[in-house]
Amino acid sequence: MRNFTKAIANTRFMALLRKEFSQIRRDRRVIISLIVPPILMILLFGFVLNPTVANLRLGVVDDSRTPESRELIATLTESESFASAGNYFSAGQLGDVIARGKLDAGVIIPYDFGRDLQRGRPATVQFLLNAMDANTARIAQAYAESVIATYNNGLRQSGLSADFRRVAAPGRLPRGQVVLYPAYLYNPGLVSSWFVVSGVFGMLCILNASIVSAAAMVKEREAGTLEQLMMSPAGTYTIVVAKITPLFLLLCLMVLGAIGLMKLVFQVPFRGGYVLVMLGAALCVLCGIGIGTFIATFTKTSAQAQLTSFFVNPPLTSLSGALTPAQALPAWLRPLTNLNPIYHFGVIARGSMLRGSGLDTLWPNFLALLAFTFVLVSLSVWRFRKQLS
Amino acid sequence: MRRILAQMRKQLTQLVRDRMSLAMALVLPVMIMVLIGTSFKLTVSGLPIVVQDLDGSSASRALIDAFRASVTLHVVAWPVDQSPQLALQHGAYAVLIIPVHFGRDVVRGITTPLQLLVDASDSNTARLMSGYASRIVQAYNATNVPAPQPVQASIRLWFNPGLSDKLYLGPGVFVLALSMFVPLLTALAMAQEGQRGTILQVYVSNISAHEYLLGNTLAFTVVGLAECVPLIALLFTYFGGRFAGDPVPFLVATVLYVFCVASFGIMVGVAIPNQIAAISVVSLGGYLLVFLLSGLLFPIANIPLGIRWISDLVWGKHYITVVRDAFLQGAGWPATWLEILIIGGTGVTFYVVAWLTMRRMQVKA
Repeated sequence: MRNFTKAIANTRFMALLRKEFSQIRRDRRVIISLIVPPILMILLFGFVLNPTVANLRLGVVDDSRTPESRELIATLTESESFASAGNYFSAGQLGDVIARGKLDAGVIIPYDFGRDLQRGRPATVQFLLNAMDANTARIAQAYAESVIATYNNGLRQSGLSADFRRVAAPGRLPRGQVVLYPAYLYNPGLVSSWFVVSGVFGMLCILNASIVSAAAMVKEREAGTLEQLMMSPAGTYTIVVAKITPLFLLLCLMVLGAIGLMKLVFQVPFRGGYVLVMLGAALCVLCGIGIGTFIATFTKTSAQAQLTSFFVNPPLTSLSGALTPAQALPAWLRPLTNLNPIYHFGVIARGSMLRGSGLDTLWPNFLALLAFTFVLVSLSVWRFRKQLS
Repeated sequence: MRRILAQMRKQLTQLVRDRMSLAMALVLPVMIMVLIGTSFKLTVSGLPIVVQDLDGSSASRALIDAFRASVTLHVVAWPVDQSPQLALQHGAYAVLIIPVHFGRDVVRGITTPLQLLVDASDSNTARLMSGYASRIVQAYNATNVPAPQPVQASIRLWFNPGLSDKLYLGPGVFVLALSMFVPLLTALAMAQEGQRGTILQVYVSNISAHEYLLGNTLAFTVVGLAECVPLIALLFTYFGGRFAGDPVPFLVATVLYVFCVASFGIMVGVAIPNQIAAISVVSLGGYLLVFLLSGLLFPIANIPLGIRWISDLVWGKHYITVVRDAFLQGAGWPATWLEILIIGGTGVTFYVVAWLTMRRMQVKA
């Protein structure tokens, strides 16, 4: 720590800092990679990655052609979950079209549907769902069931149901129905982009910081000026801190830009204020710089450094719960997320921005981020020093 | 023809000698496929749900037992005097509140409300959560209320009856791995030639642009097809895939697709004689476009209309359609011929653009 404070006060440090700043200013690539990827990633991921299930194309085979069957089709298609996409004459034809991927679902109403209902007998309607996409199928299944439930409730009120009670359970007192009322807290409109955008934000902090800093670190070696730095009277600590500081400041500007984008374009609520999110993002950026510096000490050219990040980034992003919920990971992989800064930042970002949680619930994640930052930055400084001496 | 083969042999020898490239060709695609195929799914399980039982009757306990029997939900009791919202702040995904007099109302035959507070910060999980809960309540009703539902839905899940996420993700991730690493290797090798200046030797030799490009394309098509072998093996083992129908369209499309991505790499490498810039372009075209705009994770229909048309231009989207059809739907040629034609056309377009660039450069030199 004493070393650090001394380094700050040193004018040699200020000179190095000036050098780094002007070097970055001249490097168009760094500037571009600080502006373009954040905007592109937040906008693209936010708009494109959308798991909402709506307007499923529904094909209909209505063999009954009665008011009851038409009522059922109307109930199905007037919700926003299913959209009518044509009538078919036979189940075979409908199945063919589903197999070609032109329909997402089909409903087949049997010829005796209306008659059975009139006589008080239960009728069965067949649903065909293209279940290739398991998530969509699961939600569509729930939609279909709830639409049928709605239809049944409508029947109960229309007098037909009296027959059913009598036929089904003669002489027994019915017990009360339980009705579930779900309330969606923190995101009543079920906006899907809030989840994705907050995850991408963490990915951005780590990945962009690591790529930019790896490039900056390896540049000195590529240009062959590393020896000159070693010859200079500046200590290794001073050199490393002077290298990190401008990157950190610029990346913090990127964080501000990303927050602005999330607020303006996606209307993320930021219920817990901005301080916690920014603090977490700053820690994340430092983590990313640590990762980048670490990669840079193993590689000789910037192309190599970039390629090495292909080995590091996929595990970091896919085991982070940034784009898909961490709870969906298999149980044996889930503990690994605890070692992932993106995961902890995701918890902080979602907790603070959407739920308005404070430090009292988020402190373990902050602690983890702090620990990673400390370990990664000191590890990379140590590696860098070993190279210099 | 001899010159084409010689060029191809040279490229393959160079690749085998470079340890980094070799690792990228063989290890990374497999790693990516397993990682993304395992982690990028939406089916959550073991979600903590907190139950606040204000009634404490036998009926309410029977309801809680129904929830406890579910695999996807993990019931945690919550003290009656605590605010239920506090539970959501502390990691619960939903709170089920059973009102006072719940048991009495059920016995009297009065319709009883039940509240479910869902943490909707992740909208998809929230939707799944309320779907699970309402299904459990329906089942509870069915045992309690003797009147049957007049209309019953018999739902059949086609093509993926086990609702396996892996079966859906596998083909997509396979396409992603191919679209990323084949062009990356190709572009790196081509850009290296420009960066080191050895491209000048090509200019002064008597090899024509077509021979040079064809040799390279062929070399990396071979590399790409070799990459396919472990990846397809993964599809059959780890992802549990089976050919659902005629495998011929899939095989034809695979050869064409590898040619398509290899010539994409050739085009980038020829146009940008700088490895770093080439890497960025390939990761944009190969990774970002295919990952986001080809319907790999979520339906293309959910992409906003303004940018949805872009996905028709993304070569990966067409190939994903073919692979999913081969492994899940099994409709064969009638469903895929257009996609296969587009893949081939895109590959030829990339090749022609590369040739145009190359020809210009040769005249200049």
